Formats: sequence, C-alpha cells, structure tokens
Amino acid sequence: MSPEVLLEVKHMHKAFGPTIALKDVDITVRRGEIRGLVGENGSGKSTIMSIASGMQPATGGEMYYLGKPWHPGSMVEAQKAGISMILQEANTIPGVTVAQNIFAGREKEFSVMGMMNMRKMYRAADEVLERFGISHIKGNHRIDQYTFEERKLIELVRCVNEDTQILVVDETTTALSLEGRQILYRLIHKMAEEENKAVVFVSHDMDEILEHCSVLTVLRDGDIVGELNGEEIQALDAVKNIRYLMVGREIGEKYYREDYDTSHEAEVALELADVSFGPIRHFNMKLHKGEIIGFGGLSGCGMHEIGRIAYGIEKPEQGKVLRKGKEIKSPLMAIQEGIGYISKNRDTEALILAGSIQDNIVLPSLKALERGGVIRPGEEKKLSDHEIEAFRIKCGSGKQFVNTLSGGNKQKVSFAKWTAKGSEVIIMDCPTRGVDIGVKQAMYSLIEEMKKEGKAILMISEELSELVGMVDKLVIMKDFKVTKEFLRSPDLQQTDIIEYMI
Amino acid sequence: MNGTTKNKNLAAYGGLLLCILVFSVVPPVFGQSIWTGAKLSTLMSDVIVTALMAVGAVFVYSLGNMDISIGGQVGVYATLMVLLGNKTGSLAAGIALSLAAAVLIGVINGATGEILKIHPIIPSLVFMMVLNGIRSIIYTKLGSRNVSLSSVDYSLLKQPWFMAVVLLGEVLVITFLFRYTRLGKNAKAIGANSVVAAQSGINLIQYKALAYVIMGLCVVLASVFQMGYTGSASDATGTGFEMNVMVALILGGMPLSGGMGAKVSCAIIGAFTYSLLDVGLPLIGVPNNMTFLVKAVIFILVVLITCRKRGGTLPR
Repeated sequence: MSPEVLLEVKHMHKAFGPTIALKDVDITVRRGEIRGLVGENGSGKSTIMSIASGMQPATGGEMYYLGKPWHPGSMVEAQKAGISMILQEANTIPGVTVAQNIFAGREKEFSVMGMMNMRKMYRAADEVLERFGISHIKGNHRIDQYTFEERKLIELVRCVNEDTQILVVDETTTALSLEGRQILYRLIHKMAEEENKAVVFVSHDMDEILEHCSVLTVLRDGDIVGELNGEEIQALDAVKNIRYLMVGREIGEKYYREDYDTSHEAEVALELADVSFGPIRHFNMKLHKGEIIGFGGLSGCGMHEIGRIAYGIEKPEQGKVLRKGKEIKSPLMAIQEGIGYISKNRDTEALILAGSIQDNIVLPSLKALERGGVIRPGEEKKLSDHEIEAFRIKCGSGKQFVNTLSGGNKQKVSFAKWTAKGSEVIIMDCPTRGVDIGVKQAMYSLIEEMKKEGKAILMISEELSELVGMVDKLVIMKDFKVTKEFLRSPDLQQTDIIEYMI
Repeated sequence: MNGTTKNKNLAAYGGLLLCILVFSVVPPVFGQSIWTGAKLSTLMSDVIVTALMAVGAVFVYSLGNMDISIGGQVGVYATLMVLLGNKTGSLAAGIALSLAAAVLIGVINGATGEILKIHPIIPSLVFMMVLNGIRSIIYTKLGSRNVSLSSVDYSLLKQPWFMAVVLLGEVLVITFLFRYTRLGKNAKAIGANSVVAAQSGINLIQYKALAYVIMGLCVVLASVFQMGYTGSASDATGTGFEMNVMVALILGGMPLSGGMGAKVSCAIIGAFTYSLLDVGLPLIGVPNNMTFLVKAVIFILVVLITCRKRGGTLPR
C-alpha cells in the first residue's frame, strides 16, 4: 500500500435492522486531500465516516488505517489514533468550563498528585484557542455563556491536535456563520496542504464543496456512484453533474423561484409594531398576505429573536406583535390566529424525537381534530397520512418514531405540522438546515406554492443564496439592527449584501 | 410502534406472568393454592387501593413528574370521610369535601411548579408536610389514634365484585381520557418534550394542573376503599402509599421520565404484580419480617427484565 494512503475502506456494509445504509462501499483517503462526500439524506455519507471514526461498527467489510487493520472501539479511541469527527449536532458538555471541554478525557495531563492544576489547564486552553484564531473565547469561562456556533468551534479545537491525521467534518458548517466557516476553512486547508494530512468533508452546501474540496465522492442509496477529481470539480457544469449523480435523474434547472414578481395582497398578515426586546430596539415590520420576507445576517445578529418574538415565545418589553388587530402574547395565541413556527433547533424545539411521525404532525392540530371532546384515531391518521404523502416522507408508516428518520425527513415532519394545521402565516427559522438538495427543491416549491395561496412567510436563514432565491423583501440585520433592505431583483448579488452583514 | 416498545410491553406482562406462574405452582406444594375465593378476595382488597391510585397517577407520571403527597392525601381524605360519616350518617359529605380538596390540591400542585419554575416535586413535598400536619392536629384534638365508622353501612365497599367493577370503570374512563382526548395526548407531549409542547400551542400550566387534578380524583376514590376495608382511619392511614404507586408503576414498565411510552396498562400490570407479591409471599412460606427484602430482590429482577428490552437503559 502506498504511504500516501491514510485510510482504506473495502466492501463496507452497514445495516440498521432491515434498512441497508451502505451496500458495498470502497473508499480511499489519501494524504493532502480534502475529500468531499456528497449525497442526499440517507445516502450513507455520514455513516461511512461515523464507522471509520468509531461511533458505530460496520456489519461487514474491512478497514485499514496507516496500513494496519482498523477496528476502532469508540470515538475516543479513534481520536487518540488520529481520526477525529465533528458532528452536526452540539456535542459539548454543559455546565463546565471551556478548558474542561477541550481537554475532556485528557485531564491526567494536568494533574499533580491526583489534584487538578486548573490554572495550567486554562493556560493550555487559551494557547490552543489562540492558535485556532478564536482568542475571544477563554479557557476559564463556562461553556454555557457561548453561542451554539462558538461551542461548535470549541468542539473543533477539542477534536483537532498535532496527532490528528484525518479530520471528518460532518455537516458542521450549517451551524456556523461566515466567520466561523472561515476559521474552519483555514484549518482544513492548512491540514491538507501544509501538514499533508487529510480532511473528509460532508456537506450539503454545493458552493462550499466546489470551493474547498480537491476530490469528491458521490453517494446514492448506500452506493458510491461517482468520483470527481480536481478538474472535474472546477468544470463549469460540475454542479449539474453532481446533482445528477446524487439524485439519479435530471432534477431540472428550477430550484429557487424564477419569477421576480414582488406583488402581494394589501392585507397585513403579521405586524411587529415598535417592538423592543433586549438589544433589539423599536423594531417595525409589516408582513402581508402572499408575501415572503427574508431575514439574513450573521448568527447573533438578532434575526432569530425576531422570529421568536413574532411567534410569542419571547415577550417584548415594549411594542406589540399584531395579527388581524389582535395582540399575540404566546405560541398558543399565535397558533389560534393561524401562525406556525418552524424552529431552528429542530431536535430540541420542533420535534418529539421519541414520538411517532403521526404524534408530531397532529400535535398543533389536536384541538381542531376534536369532536365533542374526543379525538378519533382515524382522523389523526388521515391527517398525518395526507401530509406524509404530500411531503413524501420516507417511512414505513406514520407510527414510525421520528428519531429513526434522516435529517431531511425530520425537517419535513417539522414543516408538515403547520401545513396540517393550515397555518396562514409561517415563520421559518433556518428551514432547510441540514437538508439535501432534493428535499430543498421540494421545500422551495412548497414555499412558492404557499405564497401563491396567499400565505405570508417569514423566512429567517443563514444561507444567503436561498434568501436571494426565494424572498420578496430581504432584511439584513447586524448587531440587532436592520442595516439594509433589498427588494427581489435578478440583479441582486450576494456580494452586495454581505457588506451589510459584517 | 417500533420493535423495542413491543418487546418492552411483553416484558412488562412477563413480570406479572412470572409472578402468576410462580405463585400458582409453588404454594400448592405447601398445601395452599392462591386461586381460592378467599385468597382472591384478599388479593382484590390488596390490589384495589394501589391500582386505583396508580391508574390516576399515570397522568402525572406521563408528565415525567411524581407526587409525594399521595399518602398524606389518602390519610386526610379517609379521616374526613369517617368523621363526616359519623356526623351526617352518610359518606357523601366526606367524599364531596375530599373531591373539592383534591381539585384544589391538584391545581396548586400542578400549576405552581410551572409558574414558579421550580421542580414539580417540591409543591407535592410541601403538601405532604401540610397534610401530615393537618392529620396530626386532627388526631391530637380527638385524643385518639384512630376513628371508626359507627352509623354508616359500608359493607358494599368490602365486596370484591364491587371493587372489581369500580376499578374496571376507572380504568375505562382513564384510558379513554388518556388515549382519545387532549388531556392525555398533551400530558404525554409535555412529558416527552415540554419545549416542543409549548411551541405547539399546549398551555403547560393548564394541562399540568389538569393531570394532577385527575390523579387527585382517583386518589379520593382509592381513599374510599382504603377507609371502607376496615371502616376506619388512623394517624398512619396512607403512610408510604406514594412509594407503593411508584413501585407499581415501575414494575408495570412506566418510563419515569414520562412521554410517549406512558400507558394506563403499566399501572394495572404493576399494581397486580405488586399485590401478588404481597399475597403470594406469605403463602410460599416467606416469614413476614422477610417480605420486604424478598420484594426488593423481585423488584430489581423485574425491573432488569422489563428494561433489558429498552436498549439496556434503566427506568428514567
């Protein structure tokens, strides 16, 4: 085996009960490469690397790492041997300091006669944080005071050290803002190009893949369907080719909205009148029937709070949220007035993971399903099956638990709650987070459909391209203030917008 | 429903079946059978109180909460029924007053945790102390440690068939509320994830309070039979009942963290398993002073069997 090869996977097979996640996969990771893994949700791209990094065992096949057979027993073991993986969801320990998180499992290095030398640990933590270019995070601070994004970066610091040979980045960038991404990109390029190590990059963001990866492996339904080298990635029609490989059929050119018609009805569907909440002061917004207003900015700019205020989760200190003249003071009132809210934190705020798809979909509609105080199971099933059908949620039946679904299908359930309820105003916070292009396309056409039906949509997103592609009016925020508003236009360029965000 | 929950249900029934099997086979060796009319009526009188309470408690446990004041409530309600029964010649006044108290306690118990953002067990601890205090004052004033019904006919309450009918009725009503109305569905959703529940428009305060009220009403019903078995109440009536409820629910496979896995059947299975041990152990010659230890061993065995199927996790 050539010394260039770090990891070789042969005939890997993985089944979860009757579901086959990986059929017979061969993949080789070489020194100096940034290998992108792309595929739709459930295509098996995360599964391969989670097996290589010790999160779960394979049901068949062999792995060789640095020329020797490789059977990692746990993620810790893999990390010690040099394969580190950063996951999509938060993975830090709450309630303790940043330094304790960074050195979790390595406390011995800082112990003197059984006592922890915390000062030494904080110093060491500050040093590594400095090296990663995030010196505003301090080792002796409690981790809870940092945002989701900052915690993600702390995780990165924990996972990567001098011994790391392969870094696996699994959909991490969706959780990061532009600055955070820059830190990550700098790191992976340094690892691959200067230190001659390897990075495996799992992402849904096609632009990011094309920009940063040196080779690309495309998966579909547990099989590798193609590999693209540097030249092929740089080719002009690369995106089209990759999408074709991923989906297995032409998905067509249509992705975002194609019209530039920003007209909407005159009726105001939702109004925020002179709202103040924490650092947000005197905020005003009028959302009309048939209008899509988008909010963009860096995470922490206040746009997520706008969504929470509009839905009545956060109570403004001053000003009102109004719908049809009524003041919205709680999510319950919001729902009664026909407002729905898709939370950014899907797994903790939008879905009952240990509940069935049906239980989740019908939850906001239970009151409407009641006849004389009784909810008939048949009615619940009818409503839920209709949505499962409409969204093409991949499942055996509505009784299947949500925690067995892939990310994209979970997100569909989160959407379906509100289409089932027939909400007139839908507030979406990062609606396509962690969702692959096939599902994204379906969601964009659904949003377009909703607009045509006269529904009002508030779309908060960290992805500029989808905001530019979908909204009638784009509001850019920075430091809890609106810095600029753009109207939908074919000339609108992301580069023009970014300067108002940073 | 996925495979693991199905197995878990089977395992919960398994604990009960195992007890039935053991106590059917072993006692006859000692010359006694458990399936005699007298033994069954003992079993019924033993199971009825725990079962009536546990079935109602399904609502509170499905929230992921528990109520420590159950024993104190039973003590005070039973005492009230005896005292007012002797005064008025009928149990109606005592029961009515108990129901009113149960509603009040339930609302406060369920709502304060959510309103004040304190752990829901704390209001119930406060009630436990308050109720014990009230009971203590009553019996000190009476100058006696127990009171008996003198002028009311309560023989109906001792009939096993009547107990069975009431229990069946309660199970049907609670099952209906739990499965086919928003009361149960919302309680389970709150237990599974209260943030999701709130964002889906469930009023946490309202539905938590209602869950506690439903349990309180069932506790009153249980108090009637607790008092009716002997026609008396004492300063020790109800002591430890909250633990009996908890043990029964765990034996029946109820997830202590609440949520979608909560079922009314957990309460029935658990209560019967628990009572079979109570009635069965003396029959197979376990000395009285040993029964607690033997119960402990059987408890941990059943829990391990029940929870094995759940990805190896213990009740939580």
